[in-house]
Amino acid sequence: MTQIQPMLKPKLSIGAIIARVLLVAILIGFTVMTIYPIIWLIINSFKTSKEFQMNRLGLPIAPTFINYPQAWKIGNFSMLFVNSIFYTGVATLAIVILSLSTSFAFAKIQSKATKPLYNSFVIGILLALESIMVPLFIMSIVTGVYDTRIGILIPYIGLGLPIGVYLGTEFIKSIPDALIESARLEGASYLRIFFSIILPMCIPVAMTLAILTVTSLWNEFMLVNILASRESLKSLPVGILKFSGSLASDYGKQFAALVIGMLPMLIFYLSFRKQIQRGLAAGAVKG
Amino acid sequence: MRQLTGTLERKQAYLLLVLPAVMIYFAVIAFPTIFSIVLSVSNYQGGAVFGEKANWSLVGFKHYLRMFKDQYFWISFKNNIWIMLMSLFIQIPLGFVLAYTIFRKLIVGREFFQTVIYMPTIISVIVVAILWQSIFSPYGPVTSFMRMFIPGWENKLVSHPQLAIVPVLFVMVWYYTGMYLIIFLANLQKIDQQVIESAQIDGANEWQMLKAIILPALSGVIVTTAILAISGSLRSFGLIWAMTAGNPARRTSVLALYMYDNAFKGAPNFPLANAISTFMVTVSFVFIVIAKKIEKRFGGKE
Amino acid sequence: MKRLLFVLLALAMVLPVFAAAEKDQAAEGPITLRVLNYADATTPAYAVEKEIWDTFRAQNPDIVLEYEELFDEAFHTKTEAYAAAGRLPDVMFMWPSGRSSTLYNRNLVKDLTPLMAPVKNEFVPIATSPGQFGILGQIPQSTTNTHVLYANLGLLKKLGLSEPKTYADLVAMVPAARAAGVEVVLIPAKSDWVMQSCLFSMVLGRIAGDEFINDVLAGKANFTDKPFVDSLAFIKRLYDDGVISRTALQIDYGEGPALFASEKSLFYIDGAWRVGEFITSPDSGVALIPPAKQQSDFKLMNFPVIPGEKNANSSSVIAGTGFGMNANIEAGSAKEAAAWRLISYLNSAEVLKKRLETGAFSNVTRIGVTASKMEPLQVMNAQLAPAKATYVVDGILDASVYGPINIGLQEMALGTATPEQVAQTTQKAFEEWEISN
Repeated sequence: MTQIQPMLKPKLSIGAIIARVLLVAILIGFTVMTIYPIIWLIINSFKTSKEFQMNRLGLPIAPTFINYPQAWKIGNFSMLFVNSIFYTGVATLAIVILSLSTSFAFAKIQSKATKPLYNSFVIGILLALESIMVPLFIMSIVTGVYDTRIGILIPYIGLGLPIGVYLGTEFIKSIPDALIESARLEGASYLRIFFSIILPMCIPVAMTLAILTVTSLWNEFMLVNILASRESLKSLPVGILKFSGSLASDYGKQFAALVIGMLPMLIFYLSFRKQIQRGLAAGAVKG
Repeated sequence: MRQLTGTLERKQAYLLLVLPAVMIYFAVIAFPTIFSIVLSVSNYQGGAVFGEKANWSLVGFKHYLRMFKDQYFWISFKNNIWIMLMSLFIQIPLGFVLAYTIFRKLIVGREFFQTVIYMPTIISVIVVAILWQSIFSPYGPVTSFMRMFIPGWENKLVSHPQLAIVPVLFVMVWYYTGMYLIIFLANLQKIDQQVIESAQIDGANEWQMLKAIILPALSGVIVTTAILAISGSLRSFGLIWAMTAGNPARRTSVLALYMYDNAFKGAPNFPLANAISTFMVTVSFVFIVIAKKIEKRFGGKE
Repeated sequence: MKRLLFVLLALAMVLPVFAAAEKDQAAEGPITLRVLNYADATTPAYAVEKEIWDTFRAQNPDIVLEYEELFDEAFHTKTEAYAAAGRLPDVMFMWPSGRSSTLYNRNLVKDLTPLMAPVKNEFVPIATSPGQFGILGQIPQSTTNTHVLYANLGLLKKLGLSEPKTYADLVAMVPAARAAGVEVVLIPAKSDWVMQSCLFSMVLGRIAGDEFINDVLAGKANFTDKPFVDSLAFIKRLYDDGVISRTALQIDYGEGPALFASEKSLFYIDGAWRVGEFITSPDSGVALIPPAKQQSDFKLMNFPVIPGEKNANSSSVIAGTGFGMNANIEAGSAKEAAAWRLISYLNSAEVLKKRLETGAFSNVTRIGVTASKMEPLQVMNAQLAPAKATYVVDGILDASVYGPINIGLQEMALGTATPEQVAQTTQKAFEEWEISN
């Protein structure tokens, strides 16, 4: 019933109609601007470099499939793929759990430490990665984690925490205190409350956080490039970087490499999207 | 509560929950940041930082002075401000309006649009940059399109010193609006449906409902997105780095790029680069404090 | 239970930090060399690049290469980070100046003169003499004209025009080109180094000459003097006369060759290294300009006579890239011997011949090395000999001095600075650099 009600409303003014048309126009504009680039990229990955240079926007006249196997082999993408999944997966999991546990403590357990700690996390949101790149690199060498997996994971986790703690704390604050107090009265420990009450309730914010984290980490290249030198530790975007930039000379392979880098994200997003919506619905009922 | 549990368990729990994140955070972000602030008032030019091989000393604020005297610093800063205004007054409202449209089921194909608008965010900046570069090229589709209306139109968008940033701003709207959409949508869905339904039954129109129920419920989120927008726009780097690298004549540069150029391009000047980043953090901090203040005043009135 | 799980998780994240601290420290056995190479993975020549390194590994089982390979901006960022942390690789790809300046300025690379001495006669002098920074930090593998005027004679003929002899001839072509909807000269000048390296350096060489730069460096002249200002003013004039369109600032470096090949302009300005873009690509067998057409319709030339020039037909030439060695490697050590063996291999006739054939270089510094097959444009390129070779600005000045020149050239195109202002900014940057050194 609620779905059709606004549509059937008799007092739909001209202004509202114009507004709706405008909205649809914006949405369609966005759609075109988003779908087109992706299709453009995929189409061009089937052109030879020379054909792309002559014909940037049309369909390939003589489609070639050679770019994919070549890019895959040259870029050693099988290995980079595994690395990317590892870095993104482990770091995201750690960021979500650590942010939420911290957020829970900040939001629901009273302590004098909360205010300064929380504020320092919020300042972290403001930081540009590029500004701490050199200090991070030097520290990484001094502590001996340079060129190791853990030496890449820890900075990744650290960089994701500020926004995670911020979103998590805001979210958990909205959970009624009564819920926690009654569990406390029943004798549950804080850790138990966190795992069995808070964590399940945090699914919406965890999903949002996970999506934000996964998308940014999957495409991250600056840090891995700086913190690893062994090829076997590098990630997909670093491999793709080898194919790109204004000095690169073969566009066909470059686009194939870019599609290879984008496709898993696209698949991940399209399949994950349903889950996030389910998560959001669940969150809406409980919150 | 207190009598029942004892402070010890509470303190332990707090510590356990907070410590891992705090440790990593301080190692990865807080310490390098402090380090970076120290470097900004030093004459460090690379090499050992600690130990007997270390060869640097503190020299005061001369790098800040140099920065403030450089016209390219101000051009970059101005561009950051443009990006910030654009995110606050175009991206956020647009993200909100679109989220609201989807939430209130004002259009068909909601799921489809929701999926599509967020999609750019998952594409790597490298792809985005190459793509839009081809589109805005003097020989690209924008030029062909304009020539359909104005024969012989010359694409001088980027060769105009004040307009060069416009294509970048445009791409940013496209690239980041989806993020705000997702955030708004997630929070809209937390609003009690019954309140909305009963308002409808009472005969409230769309606008009244928005003003009386939705916006007040979202005031916290609006501040959150504003903070994200402010900090995000002051940090913006990747897209511009890949799309224009600051050209022509630094007219599309931003502070982070200005800093990168000073740290990694030919003649590295780490103290200057760190002075720039310290400035960036300070400025966004000030802006965010202002945003919070505004929220307090605004929130008080509701 | 869950608390335990949590503690374990936290420990699992922190412990490896300490565990990882102890890494391979095996002293005896094969020598390990850390190598940083620069390679574009998309070129057809990349397969050859791999082959070159694999051959070395196979031939030298006593040397283990810890090989890292990067490209473009990622390479430069990494090099600066290495330099900052004092952890340079043992052998690395380098430029003779420009973006490798840090390595020279901070004495991070070894002077290879003593090692090079025994084989000195096998190379042309530029590969064995100290560069801008007074040491032989790397051994340039080729020399290259940073300025080449690529001409589309076929298109000229179609418009009833003939080969230009002077700058005035180029200006006279503007109306005809406009009418035909093409540019006179196209230069992909979006990145600021292009205008400086591929055009301005040549102009400066013609009008001011190397003597002027030497005088400035010796403190006997200033960048605000007439020759330098006149050179800048000539660039401004190119825009004002319509010979180069201001839209050049929007053309990405990667777009240039295709635009020229698809007849968007009469002439095209770029470095000699760009010839490789036009010739047949070995993997697809397609060429931007097919060999027959290269022969009939195209020509590589030098810029025509510039008003007020004192060096006729000169062009800017720079020593190419090569490999250098970490300064921390002890002289006479086994490691030095291994690193030198690698560098010698990379400069061997066998390797350089391959690079010549892939079109990566138009010549090599090793005497007597020639390619077996070349296309017309490659032949023209090899034959293109300017009457005089002059400095390239980013090859002779420090990055903190040529940086403002690069930007200034774009400022003039935007109309936001006059040649005099750019000259002043340059002079100021130069004085600051002198103080800090």
